[in-house]
Amino acid sequence: MSAQLWVSVVQIGCFFGLVALGYYLVLEGADFFNFALGPFAMFSGLTASWLMAEQGWPLGLAAVLGIAIAAVLAVVTEVALVRPIDARTGGGELPSLIAVVAVLFAVEQLAGTLFGRQLMPGRSWLPHTSLDLGFVTVDGQTLALVFCTVVAFTGVWLWMRKSRYGRILRAVGSNREAAKTLGMPVGRVRLVAFALAGGVVGLAGQLFAAKAGVSFQSGFGWALSGFLALVIGGTGSVWAPLAGGMLLALAQTLVPYYLGSASLDYAVLAVAILFFALRPSGLFVRKVRV
Amino acid sequence: MSAVTARKSSGALGWARSAETGRILGTLALTLGVIAWAGADLFRQDLALLGATYALLALGMYLPFNLAGALSLAYSAYVAIGGYAVGLVATKTGWPLPLAYLLGAVASAALAVLLGFATRRLSGFYLAAVTLLFGVAFQSFLLDAKDITGGALGIGSIRPLTLFGSELDRRTFIALTLLAVWIVAVAVDRVRRSPFGVALQSSRDVPAAVEAAGVGVPAMRLTVLGAGAAIASLGGGLFTTANQTIGPDTFTLHLVMLAIFMPLLGGQGSAWGAVLGAVLVVELTFNLQIFERSGSLIFGVAVLAVLLIAPGGILGFAGQATRWLRGRLARGKGAQEKGARP
Repeated sequence: MSAQLWVSVVQIGCFFGLVALGYYLVLEGADFFNFALGPFAMFSGLTASWLMAEQGWPLGLAAVLGIAIAAVLAVVTEVALVRPIDARTGGGELPSLIAVVAVLFAVEQLAGTLFGRQLMPGRSWLPHTSLDLGFVTVDGQTLALVFCTVVAFTGVWLWMRKSRYGRILRAVGSNREAAKTLGMPVGRVRLVAFALAGGVVGLAGQLFAAKAGVSFQSGFGWALSGFLALVIGGTGSVWAPLAGGMLLALAQTLVPYYLGSASLDYAVLAVAILFFALRPSGLFVRKVRV
Repeated sequence: MSAVTARKSSGALGWARSAETGRILGTLALTLGVIAWAGADLFRQDLALLGATYALLALGMYLPFNLAGALSLAYSAYVAIGGYAVGLVATKTGWPLPLAYLLGAVASAALAVLLGFATRRLSGFYLAAVTLLFGVAFQSFLLDAKDITGGALGIGSIRPLTLFGSELDRRTFIALTLLAVWIVAVAVDRVRRSPFGVALQSSRDVPAAVEAAGVGVPAMRLTVLGAGAAIASLGGGLFTTANQTIGPDTFTLHLVMLAIFMPLLGGQGSAWGAVLGAVLVVELTFNLQIFERSGSLIFGVAVLAVLLIAPGGILGFAGQATRWLRGRLARGKGAQEKGARP
């Protein structure tokens, strides 16, 4: 396997890891998988691409606006949809699942209606930079993606350890009822988790759009990949989603390379069933010493 | 129990006045109306056919999803199996086509039971994700197994259905398809109200209580997963027969997403909600999409609005409105009588 493929593994792995980090944050705060995160990432990437291509916006402004829109979408989902439905149904799993699938569909169609239904190219953040490591060349966009991934994970890690809301989020994640009894602002922390997750996947969408382009239907596959990355990694630590993303990217690159392209989907299905059967909580599990 | 005895005691003509008879005859009249509306117009025939296929898919998902609460998303695979069964029987054998519907139904039911058994310990998000991945894998199988499925090209020039020695024209076939939808919907709605259906719905809400009552929940779930898959595959088979071609793009994963929302939009309280939802989806995503290109968006927004405002769907909302109106009328009448008495 050529060294260039490893660069691609790292690149895809960072992207999956970022989406999985979004899942992780919502899972800690609200105890459910927000499948609409994939379309939020798509919407962010597509907004920026459209603004740059059709309106001539500069890259920085378009990127910031795209990320902000993803965060706003996440907040609106929580405030206008998930929270009222949770309140009405008493927090069952199926109604919130239906609600996020409906959001997924609506965001997808909104993007299709606003920005058109064709594939839009993204633009590289560092088009003129590349790093020559001797045996392999890393392009600027991969550098930007790796850098942003490290910054995002470190930032979330520090935030969950040092800041007030981050620590409350961890408390809510390990025991919601106890946190509520202690008088912690569970609802507000949930909202912050949603917003942060939206921002993180917004960033991921921006960075990944430059690699493969983005269309209104990209979000669906991204949502599935991020979910799988989190399932593989587990929720034991903030870094677990990144490890899961890397492993998934490795599998997605190696399996087609050795076994042909159609086997990829079979392999992904097999991995998912195996993980659910044998290690339903992922590779990295939080262990409590008593 | 008391309701049953009350209905029996309402006399020899009781059956004619019962709500069930009204529902069956009313929906039959509506079905015949759609058949008449479709007529010889090719575009309307397409709409009716698509609506019937969607309705069968939604009815197939109604039993396991809306009643038993198991959101399996592998239905694109089951519909495709129904379609490919017709394609294979028509091109590779000389067997009569109705046999293909049976084979497709058996094959997809077996697959659904197998998948349901493999995922029996999963629920909610995990079940949805794994079954979705199964749908993805099946799609690439359709593209990959060129010897069986014809790869990206699919199977074309499927011979038309012959009944009693004569070829059916498209118009008659679509009328028969719509009648089949009516029969399945009546059957599914009766299952909903049967003791089995009640046990199924209770197993969604309180599985432990149903287990304690001596009903095996896992076996019941597998049964409805199989039955649902068979119904969905019938939809795929009928659609393929009418269009005489099937390919990997005919039934996509996108279709399953639409199918989740159909009963939601129409109303989960009755199997007819699934049918109504299918009709609305065809109108919005197919008929409107051609003219305005925003039909799918309207549909998405409508689903969100129904989720928030009218959790019972359109039929549930209509039922509520009727009860409210009847209550108002009764109260108004009562007040008049009271006023007239002195």
